[in-house]
Amino acid sequence: MRAFGMALFASLICVAGVTAIGENDAANGSRLAELLGSGDDRGFARALQPRSFSFPQDHGPHPEYRNEWWYLTGNLDGDGGRRFGFELTFFRFALEPSMPETDSNWRSNQVYIAHLAITDAAGEKFYVAQRYSRSALALAGAQAEPFRVWIDDWEISTESAENSNVWRLQAGEREFGLDLLLTAVKPPVFNGIDGLSQKSAEPGNASYYYSITRWQTEGLLRIGSAQFRVSGLSWLDREWSSSALAADQLGWDWFALQLSDGTELMFYNLRRNDGRRDSHSAGTWIAANGEASHIDSGDLDIVVTDQWQSPSGGVYPAAWTLRLPKKSLTLNVRPILDNQELITTVRYWEGAVDLSGDRDGKTIGGRGYVELTGYATATRGQWP
Amino acid sequence: MIPVTWRANFGYLLRHPWQLALALLGIAVGVAVIVAVDLANASARKAFLLSMDAVTGEATHQVVGGPGGIPEETYVQLRTVHGIRSIAPVIGGYVTVADTQLQLMGVDLFAEQEMRSFTAEASKSTTAGGTNVEALIRGFLTEPGTVTMSRRTAALLELEVGDRFEVIADGRLHNAVLLGVFGDADAAGLDRLLTTDIATAQVWLDQLGFISRIDVRVDDGDNAMVERLESVLPDGTRLLTAAGRTRTTADLSAAFMTNLTAMSLLALLVGLFLIYNSVSFSVLQRRGLIGIQRALGVTRGELYVLILGEAALIGLVAACIGVLAGLWLGEQLLMLVSQSINDFYYRVNVTDVVANPLSIAKGIAAGVGVALLAAAVPAIEASSYHPRLAMTRSTLEQRTRRLLPVVALAGCAAIVVAAAVLMFSGRNLVAGLSAVFLLILGFALCIPLLIRVISRTLAPAAKRIGGTLASMAISGIAASLSRTGVAIVALAVAVSATIGVSVMVDSFRGSVRQWLDQTLQADIYAGVERGSMDPAVLADLVALPGVENYSTSRRSFLEDEDGRTQLVVIQMAPDSYAGTEILDADPAEVWPAWESDDVVLVSEPYAYRNGVALGDTIELRTAAGERDFRIAATYQSYDINASALLISRSTYDRHWNDDGIDSIGLYLADGVDAQKVLQRIESVSAGRQQIRFESNQRIRDLSLEIFDRTFIITDVLYWLAIVVALIGILGAMLAMQLERAREFAVLRALGMTPAQLGGMITLQSAVIGLFSGIAAIPLGVVMAYVLIEVINRRAFGWQIDMTFAGGIFFSALLFAVGAAVLAGLYPAYRAAQSQPALAMREE
Repeated sequence: MRAFGMALFASLICVAGVTAIGENDAANGSRLAELLGSGDDRGFARALQPRSFSFPQDHGPHPEYRNEWWYLTGNLDGDGGRRFGFELTFFRFALEPSMPETDSNWRSNQVYIAHLAITDAAGEKFYVAQRYSRSALALAGAQAEPFRVWIDDWEISTESAENSNVWRLQAGEREFGLDLLLTAVKPPVFNGIDGLSQKSAEPGNASYYYSITRWQTEGLLRIGSAQFRVSGLSWLDREWSSSALAADQLGWDWFALQLSDGTELMFYNLRRNDGRRDSHSAGTWIAANGEASHIDSGDLDIVVTDQWQSPSGGVYPAAWTLRLPKKSLTLNVRPILDNQELITTVRYWEGAVDLSGDRDGKTIGGRGYVELTGYATATRGQWP
Repeated sequence: MIPVTWRANFGYLLRHPWQLALALLGIAVGVAVIVAVDLANASARKAFLLSMDAVTGEATHQVVGGPGGIPEETYVQLRTVHGIRSIAPVIGGYVTVADTQLQLMGVDLFAEQEMRSFTAEASKSTTAGGTNVEALIRGFLTEPGTVTMSRRTAALLELEVGDRFEVIADGRLHNAVLLGVFGDADAAGLDRLLTTDIATAQVWLDQLGFISRIDVRVDDGDNAMVERLESVLPDGTRLLTAAGRTRTTADLSAAFMTNLTAMSLLALLVGLFLIYNSVSFSVLQRRGLIGIQRALGVTRGELYVLILGEAALIGLVAACIGVLAGLWLGEQLLMLVSQSINDFYYRVNVTDVVANPLSIAKGIAAGVGVALLAAAVPAIEASSYHPRLAMTRSTLEQRTRRLLPVVALAGCAAIVVAAAVLMFSGRNLVAGLSAVFLLILGFALCIPLLIRVISRTLAPAAKRIGGTLASMAISGIAASLSRTGVAIVALAVAVSATIGVSVMVDSFRGSVRQWLDQTLQADIYAGVERGSMDPAVLADLVALPGVENYSTSRRSFLEDEDGRTQLVVIQMAPDSYAGTEILDADPAEVWPAWESDDVVLVSEPYAYRNGVALGDTIELRTAAGERDFRIAATYQSYDINASALLISRSTYDRHWNDDGIDSIGLYLADGVDAQKVLQRIESVSAGRQQIRFESNQRIRDLSLEIFDRTFIITDVLYWLAIVVALIGILGAMLAMQLERAREFAVLRALGMTPAQLGGMITLQSAVIGLFSGIAAIPLGVVMAYVLIEVINRRAFGWQIDMTFAGGIFFSALLFAVGAAVLAGLYPAYRAAQSQPALAMREE
């Protein structure tokens, strides 16, 4: 559930220049909804009915839709059991449905943004960096065969079309970076109804949404001059659409949880302006054999058990108890580090979490990632 | 006691307002010229640096390529392969909007954050809906022709956000829309700057596939980054520091400004004589008063302070007037200066004179300093008189006569020193200019002795020819040399300046004309002002009926740490070769090698400035890295940017990726009417590309017109010097007339008629003029020589044949005599009108 990406475009704008978010927009969420819901989307393709996915083509870009993202998160263990989390995300935005006729290679209607975040639980540090570029020349872009999405020297790629279930992630700044090899151990699952994820009652207010929920991950992680050999599990979320949020939706809590018994739970909790859960909230349960089943809004009970006050303002939930009676599952979710907040114009929290609980009476553990939006007011932030 | 003496002296000055006014005017004019030139230079330079800095932004370095720019792939590689992030691509060029020339900067907004803030700014009123900057990014990326500019520039062009307008780039029309405006009123450095997306800039400036430069931001002391960049940059590119690049660009116009400064110093020098004349005159006039004061017990020291104080006060008041006048004059000059810089060097938008305190302080210091300097000698003299002697005039003249050989000797010494400076100062322009002033000073100091010798020699002859009156007129000059000497020197310096400058300008003009005649071999020239010609248009032009042959030319630049090297790339037509005069080799051997080998010809100014000669090699940065080129010959060029390498098209194409052509020369078949071809060119190019085309003759005329315009400043300044000198003569003649009132009264009493007296004084004026003119000729010739051989050469590297236009010396003499007679008319009239009885009653 990353409809959130469009708001990032606003943050990009702020980075590029002057005021992007209006001074009077006190609540981030309403602004977000406006950004996502408004705008002329005529000319863009829309997610109106289920489609048939095919790979590796659908790993590649869908430029006829307004926005799209490749979202990779993961939990890693370093030498000596040092605990890390990472997020590497590429967003694509189409400024216009079509490209103007031109002779210049620089002309483009597509913009790419990428976020890299690394959580160092032992060092109690959270590192964030951003890149952005037009999709022109070879500066940034995405392609299906062989799969590749990149900005500058940051990229997610496959070695070859035959080996499309092994992905390499390379991204770094002067202070930190990663170079990981991911091997998918489960096939893609299609969220919503066969991959059509309805976000509000209005037809077309939906996205195409698939995930690959378990990747065996190995590689190198760099913090300062220190390099760590790491291994663990990763999660891919892929989504594209031309519109997504309704005006009365404030934000969302997204859970991507990998359980120790080989199952996964994904759920997005859409929060309305009145504080209640939107009935379009939904999730997916993935069995150990890769079989997926839909989870309705009413299936999952979420209780917030702790809160965290951001030094930059705003109070985030910081621990949860999730109950999924359908699967006899109770899970306690706790971040490995409180401060995993990305300070941007549109601030959001995206962090690694630990799981503990029981399923069918047996103790269960696990790890995952949680994304929280709409808790902090929009302030003009600075990129680290 | 002092207050009384001060009152007495100032009372004297106030009773002689003419003298006071002259002294004030003399200093004021000198100061005004100094301040004006200084302000114009400082303002132009400041505006220039401001706009360079604004455009450079945070960039510490810049990657530059060859004439065609840098392949855009190079930039992409730096980002994607090498992960270098603090870089931004820029396409720079010039366009025209509504007859106003603007600098165009094509940027990638996503990379700009590292470099500049203004490029991503947009006005609040840009569009309805969406955020403004979102609209800016959307517009820049997806809508060709969208631009932003500063609020001031928009106001200048009378454009509002959302307006559509036409842009002429490379002679072709493009549609533009003003997407937003940036910058507040103080952002003068961003004036006349058009910002657009890199894609639009590529299309407009016809630079598809290339960018002009890569701006780089390196953190302080991050040498590793610099080394890394240098190690990965491909051949044909180079990393330069932004500051160095600004400096070398600024230096390009420095020679031009130095010339102006030289002129202003010349004006002050002439002013110095005038001030000396005024001050010493006012002192000498009061010698009676001074004698009385000394007799009453005023000490020498007191007197000395009194005279110097008076001079300082006059200097200060005059300097203040001069500064005010200088501010006004500076504005006029600035227009000329910025026009010249814009024509030849870089975009400067100098809208106001920056009244910087330094320029003003300089002017005031010069005014007061010169006044003190001028008053020092008379002050020493006056204070050293014995009280009784001070009251007699003959004492002064005796002393003056005794001093003459000493003064002349000092003058000779100054000349020797000047010659030594000229010989040993290499190519230093400032040293050259200093030597010129020393030379003038030395000559000036010799003039009084010269006058004495001449007048002594001439007096007997004059008596034979013109009778007693003529003899008296002439010997009178020598007799009151302390007075007439200064007037003659002032006039002589002014006239010599006119001789020197006109001989220099005439010689220069003659050389240029001859060079133009030779260089302009083709019958018609056609080209674009900036950018390159559309190949299709070019092909149609050379295929026009009547065109027998054609040559092409391209002017391009290679940038490196030391500045820019200009390449003039020519594809010669058979008749073109004769257009380039080779100075030091056999053309028959030079040209074949030039066409086929890696050789270049160097222009004379280039050879002079870089100290290279025939047979040397020059290392140039080609697309494939550094290559050596042999110098096959030196050629003559008076092009304003004449420091250049001449290279054949085939050699250029072998080493650089730039197929642009700026202009072509068309050679017509015998009997073809050039006018008809010109008309055809017009119809062939109409609506496709704005081509400038002119006949051979018209270009010749235009070039000389531009030449003359360049020397307008010179003209203005030397006329100012002459005005200063004229005022000097008037002052001297008036003083003489006042002083000799009693002598004249005696003459009148002895039976001389008013007409005879007036005639005698007029004759004396004429003789003063004649002496000045005679003295001015050698000085003028020497000045011309130094201006041509030293100053011009050091400033521009041009070698000019010195030629004397017929009658220049005669007209200088005539001018000097005429000016002196004119200045003497009023004193003569007054003397003739005076009542002998009144004048003698003093006895």
